[in-house]
Amino acid sequence: MDFFGDAWLASRVLVLVPVVLSLSVHEFAHAFCAFRLGDDTAARQGRLTLNPLAHIDPVGLLLPLLGVPFGWARPVPIDPSRMRGASLEAGIVLTAAAGPLSNVLLAIGATLAMGVWTRLDAGAAAAAGPLWQLLEWLVLVNLLLAVFNLIPVPPLDGSRIVDGLCPAWLRPHWEAFARVGPFALVALLLVPALLGVSPIAGPVAGLQNFLDALYDVVAG
Amino acid sequence: MKKWKTALVWAAFVGVFVLLLRLTSPAPLPREDFSLLLQEMETGGIAEVRIHDNEITVTRWDDSQYVTLGVITEELSQQLSAAGIRVAWGPPSDKLRTVLLVGVPLVLLLGLFGWFLRRGAAGNMNLLEIRKSRARLLGESLSVGFDDVGGCLEAKEQLSDLVDFLRLPERWSRAGVRLPRGVLLEGPPGCGKTLLARAVAGETNAKFYWVSASEFVELFVGVGAARVRDMFETAEKNAPAVIFIDELDAVGRKRGSGIGAGHDEREQTLNQILVCLDGFEASDRVVVIAATNRSDVLDPALLRPGRFDRRIRVEPLTRVQRVDVLRIHCRNKALSEDVSLESIADRCPEWSGAALENLVNESGLLAVRRSRKEQDDGPVELVQLDFERALEPGLSEEQRFDAVDSLLVEATTQLAQAVGKALVRVTLAGFTTIEGELVWADANFIKVRTRGQDEALVLGKSQIQSIEALDGTELLDEFSPDPWSGNTPDLA
Repeated sequence: MDFFGDAWLASRVLVLVPVVLSLSVHEFAHAFCAFRLGDDTAARQGRLTLNPLAHIDPVGLLLPLLGVPFGWARPVPIDPSRMRGASLEAGIVLTAAAGPLSNVLLAIGATLAMGVWTRLDAGAAAAAGPLWQLLEWLVLVNLLLAVFNLIPVPPLDGSRIVDGLCPAWLRPHWEAFARVGPFALVALLLVPALLGVSPIAGPVAGLQNFLDALYDVVAG
Repeated sequence: MKKWKTALVWAAFVGVFVLLLRLTSPAPLPREDFSLLLQEMETGGIAEVRIHDNEITVTRWDDSQYVTLGVITEELSQQLSAAGIRVAWGPPSDKLRTVLLVGVPLVLLLGLFGWFLRRGAAGNMNLLEIRKSRARLLGESLSVGFDDVGGCLEAKEQLSDLVDFLRLPERWSRAGVRLPRGVLLEGPPGCGKTLLARAVAGETNAKFYWVSASEFVELFVGVGAARVRDMFETAEKNAPAVIFIDELDAVGRKRGSGIGAGHDEREQTLNQILVCLDGFEASDRVVVIAATNRSDVLDPALLRPGRFDRRIRVEPLTRVQRVDVLRIHCRNKALSEDVSLESIADRCPEWSGAALENLVNESGLLAVRRSRKEQDDGPVELVQLDFERALEPGLSEEQRFDAVDSLLVEATTQLAQAVGKALVRVTLAGFTTIEGELVWADANFIKVRTRGQDEALVLGKSQIQSIEALDGTELLDEFSPDPWSGNTPDLA
């Protein structure tokens, strides 16, 4: 795709579409999980919706448009103390895990859709129409989102899972680390980027292989 | 509706994706053999050829296009020109596509960020909104007249000047007199200060702005003064108007008192009120009525001539006035023949108007409850007994437990003195009754040994509805809760 020349802006907006849709599902999953556990904090702020407009963040949207390969949505507020369906720790872990899980499910769903489509119309993959490309983008974006968010560094979802599961004797160390979490995250993103490698490439590739196999099975 | 909106937004996002994809990578043109170009050149179906390296884009007269690979020689170029075909060099450029490529995403993003800005601005609106006065405009339906005010004869007399001024300002201006524009109503709580102010507005059909002085003060410094200005401006615009400031002592306290004794928000608000009171033109038909029950702490500047210089003391009601007040509040209720408002007024000495109103309302509630119990579908009529019952000090939950408590203390004393057996009947919250010998009582529970049982029954005190002495002690008087309280204690 042409990321330079006439189409630079159009291309970036184009890529944002699957990203924004996936992020909406991600944030909705957090809100939905919290709501099912009894915490309506997010719901009362109108976040229990798949509507992307409720979730997008202006700055988190602007950066990718300016070419920074990093963006975010507004985080869903949760209040684990309101959750009746689970203990405090379990509530945090479940709600945090719901986001990445929803992205994995969405990637699987998109893969299944592509497989069924191929079964119905053998030429779909070769023709690669716009909707087909959207599905392909959705698979990739969701895998990246899921794996990236599971990095156990604050403020990512993975850190909340660790936070909930952390045994008491490790907690002081974990909290000391959590304080510098955002800086650690920047380092984690910048250093490999400068070296030309990605910390999440391995898991993403593994998941992609799995989804490729799944696609082949469904497509026959 | 909301689900549809979400679906619509998703559809829009997918639509944008498809549109932009079509724009960035348009469907490739069909590839044909070079011979087709040569053939069509002969037959004359071609309008234009565009040559970019060895790629030749051919446009037919019917706007259909195809791409072919080949080299255009000098000779071929001349042949093309001879055939009337336009020959262009360079990469294919589509002006419309370029415009759309930049324009479409730009418009979309501008729209989106415009939406963000508006959403952000909506949040900031609260800051402007906060400067608005919280004064409520009283609706016409709630307006009252002097007829609705019982007693307060002196206050009514004095206020009738104001009413006349609001009605016929010319009469007063012709006479060349200045009318008090600030009236301060003083009196104990519930004596009818608010009602009097409303009556002034009702008598004159003036707008009635009602605000509590404590509503001026907010989180932010300066808001109080801004609200005072806003309130006076609004009232002036809608003159004739009555501004009623309730609980004036909340901001009108003597300046320089309090912690730090410095310049604080409350004083700033008070200063603004003083300035606004001065600021009225004589023609402005705006009257400020303030009410307080702490006129002794008010700032002297508030009370100087030209401001709240007319101080009206609302006196406690006399017996005759209490009857008046009762009659006013009974106007919209059906009274039975046997009701004697005089006798009721006798039983409420020194009661304020608000207390009397509450009494009438309470009696009404009891009457409705009574008629519901009797399954009487006719119009509810208040009888004397309803008033009597409303006058009876009902036992609150707390008082009932206190009563049980004191009984138990006495019983315990008696047990300690081993005077003899104390037989009691205990009624529990669920109206189970237990009869037996009281063997133990303390702050938390009692033990009752029922007849023929060895083990004593332990009863938590919160379970107990009432205790009645059967025998053995004179101190355990009968205790029964207020039959009208109706609810059982729901303590666990």
